[in-house]
Parts: sequence; C-alpha cells; structure tokens
Amino acid sequence: MTNQNPTALAAQPVLDLSGAPLPTPRTLRMRQCLPFQFTRFVTFSLRILRMVLKGHSG
Amino acid sequence: MSDVVVLGAGVSGHTAALHLKRLIGKDHTVTVVSPNSHWNWIPSNIWVGTGDMPASKVIFPLAEVYERKKIRFTQAKAVAIHPEGSVTDPRPYVDIEHTSPARAGEPGTVHYDFLINATGPKLRFEATEGMGPDGHTQSVCTADHATHAAAALEASIARMKAGEPQTLVVGMGHGTCTCEGAAFEYVFNVDHTIRQAGVRDLATVIYLTNEAALGDFGVGGMIFRQEGFETTSELWTESLFRERGVAAIVGAHVEKVEAGLIHYETLDGTKHTLAFDFAMLIPPFGGAGLKAYARDGQDITDRLFAPSGFMKVDADYTGKPYDEWRATDWPATYEVPGYPSIFAVGIAFAPPHQISKPRKTPNGTLIAPAPPRTGMPSGVMGKAAALTIAHRLKDPSAPAEHASMARMGAACVASAGTGLTTGSAAAMTMLPVVPDYDRYPTGRDTGETRGELGLHGHWVKLMLHHLFIYKAKAKLGWPLIPE
Repeated sequence: MTNQNPTALAAQPVLDLSGAPLPTPRTLRMRQCLPFQFTRFVTFSLRILRMVLKGHSG
Repeated sequence: MSDVVVLGAGVSGHTAALHLKRLIGKDHTVTVVSPNSHWNWIPSNIWVGTGDMPASKVIFPLAEVYERKKIRFTQAKAVAIHPEGSVTDPRPYVDIEHTSPARAGEPGTVHYDFLINATGPKLRFEATEGMGPDGHTQSVCTADHATHAAAALEASIARMKAGEPQTLVVGMGHGTCTCEGAAFEYVFNVDHTIRQAGVRDLATVIYLTNEAALGDFGVGGMIFRQEGFETTSELWTESLFRERGVAAIVGAHVEKVEAGLIHYETLDGTKHTLAFDFAMLIPPFGGAGLKAYARDGQDITDRLFAPSGFMKVDADYTGKPYDEWRATDWPATYEVPGYPSIFAVGIAFAPPHQISKPRKTPNGTLIAPAPPRTGMPSGVMGKAAALTIAHRLKDPSAPAEHASMARMGAACVASAGTGLTTGSAAAMTMLPVVPDYDRYPTGRDTGETRGELGLHGHWVKLMLHHLFIYKAKAKLGWPLIPE
C-alpha cells in the first residue's frame, strides 16, 4: 500500500494518514467496473448539467 | 459602431470574445489582444506533463479561429489602460506591445468603447528563489512547461529502471499559491505513470502543499453527503493519499529551491529541507502588471488595481477580518467601479478575500491559499460580461448580468491517472464555489456538493477535454455547450 522510502521522509513533517479510511477490495473493484462506472458517468454528467442550469446565474 | 476589446484569450477572454461576436458582431467590432498565439486547454496540461498526451492536443492557433469568426486579433500584451482617453482624444485606449515574431517589441494603441480585462495570471516563479523552469523545478502551467516536465519525469523513470531510487515532489511553490487542484492531479498522475512503468517501489512521492489540510483546494474544503453521512473532503482526500501511498506535507511555504533541495517552513514555524530528484511546484499568481493613467497622464493604477496587480471590480475590498467576510462581498457583475465600460473576469479580477482561512506561522510567514478563479467559473464570468456589454450597446441603462462565485457552482474533475479502462479521477461538484453560510449551514448545498472516485471521473475529464476544445474552436453548435 505504501511505497515510501523511510530515509527520504526522515525528519519531514509528513501527515499521519494511518487513521484515514481505506477502500475495501470491493470498493476498489467497483471503481474500475465498466458497467457500474458507466452508470456513474451518466449520473455525474447529468449532475454537472443540473448544477450548470441551477447555479450558473447569480 | 462600437469597439469592444478583450485583453487575454484564455478560458474567460476567449469565451467572452466568441459570445460578443455572436451577440453584437454584425454591428460592432470585437478585438482580442493576447500575447499568446495559441489557445491552451490548461486542465489537460497535467497529461502533457506525464507524457500521456502531446502538447499539440491541448493547444491550437487562435488566428485561424478568429479569422473564421471575423474577430480581430492582435498578438500583443497589454501594457497600460487609459480609461479617460488622452488630452487630445477622449476615447479610452490601451497601450500594447506586440509579441508576434514579426512585430516583437513594437508599441501600439487600441481604442475601445467597452473593455474586458481577462489577462489571466502572471506566473510569479520569482516569488521563490530557485523555483521554476529557469530554476530547479518543473511546472505544468503552460503546455511548453508541461512538455519539459514530462521529459524530466521520463529521466527520473529511466533512473529508477536502472535501480536508482527517486524522490518525486509535487505541490505548491509558495504559501500564497492557488490552483492546488492542479498539483493534486499531477501528483496522482505521476503516481499512476510510475506504476505503469513498473518502478513505483523505487519512488518516494511527496505532495507538498500550502493547504492547512488535505482536501482544502483553496476553497476551505467541502462537506459531502455520502452513504447517508456528511463527510469532509479532508477525510475523503486523505483516504486517496493513504491508498496510493503518497506522503503529504501540509501548511508549507516554500522559501527557496536549490539544486535537489527544497527549503520550506510549516505552519508551526519550523523550517525544513527536503531533498528531491524531480519536483513540480506551482508558482503563485499575480496580475498581469497593467498600469492605468488618467487623461492628464496621472498614474491611477492603484485606483483600478489591487497591490497584487489584479483588477478591482464590484467586490467589497474593505479590510474586514476573515471571520467577518460574507458571500455577498464577492463581485457579481465584474464592472470596475467608476469605469462602467471596463470589466475584469477570470483570474484578472481581484478576489475580496481568501476562501480558505489565511494563517501565519509564529515567524510571521503568511500561508494562505488564494481563491481559485479558473475553469468553469472563468467561462461563466466571461459570458456574463459579454452579455452585459451586448445589452448595453442596445440600451445603455440595461442592468448588468450577474455571475457571482458565491452563487454559481463548479465541477472539478481531478485526474488521478489516464487510460480508458485503467484511469481514474476524483470528480467533485460544489455549489456555490464561495461558501455562503447565510444560505447553507455547511456553506454549500450538500445536495450538489459531492465527491466521487473512479474510472468514470476520467471519462468525464476526457469528455470535458474534447467538449471544451470543440467549443473553443467555435465549431458548429458551440454556443450549445455550456460554460
């Protein structure tokens, strides 16, 4: 998961990310699953369109 | 017949020019003055910077589009505005200096009845000693810079393939930078590229940012509604950094760069030195450096411009403490006070305050991400200014179009790697860009403020790439593509 060289990071104030949530293997699979991602693509595109219509006048 | 002049041909200026021509072009002239000969879809520069896309795919020559649309084009940089004209000629005008190879350095003037200042940013690499393509770090701010960054990254990858570990640093080159999203995208594209090259294990990838927390993006972070909970862009972003093994250093102001060394200070006042083999640092932005003169030649630059060089518009620039600012302080019409025929849009207008909370280190160093004014909002402002001018050419008392960043939404699709089946992106929407705590408890509409990760984000970014380049080329049906 982490590929950092501890020597390179020594003495650097690197943010502690050990408490950050990690995606499950299923979540990672779904992020690349073509049929599911196609539905997300359509949904997200429609959301952008709705936001443009709703929020681009001020 | 009136003359409308647009200074700058980036997203905002080019959008304004195309709409102006569509709206008033039969009866009035539209002239674009830009020092660049090419238009650049800057959001895709990050793919040029990893070698995944040639620069030719993100730029195209402006002259042929303007010739086809009958928009006058002068390749020159604006030097000074004379909004009251001169003692001999009351018509306002702009001093320019040509930049085309044939006329480089030649001075000139362009008269206007309406002026849109869309000059974009000056890339202030000089703000940090040793930073930038002429120093020791790379940039992806222009297609040319990104091409050089790709070559440097390729050299690092070659060294890793030879077994030599590399430290790759991507981030912000000064405490007051904006455009954190670009560095965020680039760091994950670099991560993706070196994974594809099979050398990830030999790389230490570090994101060095002026944001006080990950997920701030210069807009103070976002609150998302997800799976029945309200979560933060900070937690969401931290998850991605942990998953991809990218180390993060936050709240950093880069003081100086030497060959292979970045010297920086963090919010707690401590100073550090980070060794690197490859670094891409975004510079702080400044205004284009335009001057302004009254009719009698008096320098009135400080009347039209903030000290940062950005143009003052219809915003509240009184020096209120950060906690007292309101969304209504943000400009809506982009008219310059006292000069109703001048507008400033996109990065060229002076924001009234930071969106992300400004902080100082115990040593007094300001670490304050500047508000982003790029992409979608830039185009919307350009169109609004064009509409106002078009209306006022018919009726001088017509009200101005409004396009406040405190009312409009924006989509930010941050690529995290390319590939039609292997790519991914963090796709975010926010409404409004500038939080409005009087309207929304979290500052934004949580129904419209979302974040998602996945392959579809890459498809969206690719779609936007093709759509906006098509639109910028003013091809058939371009006005149907929204800003």
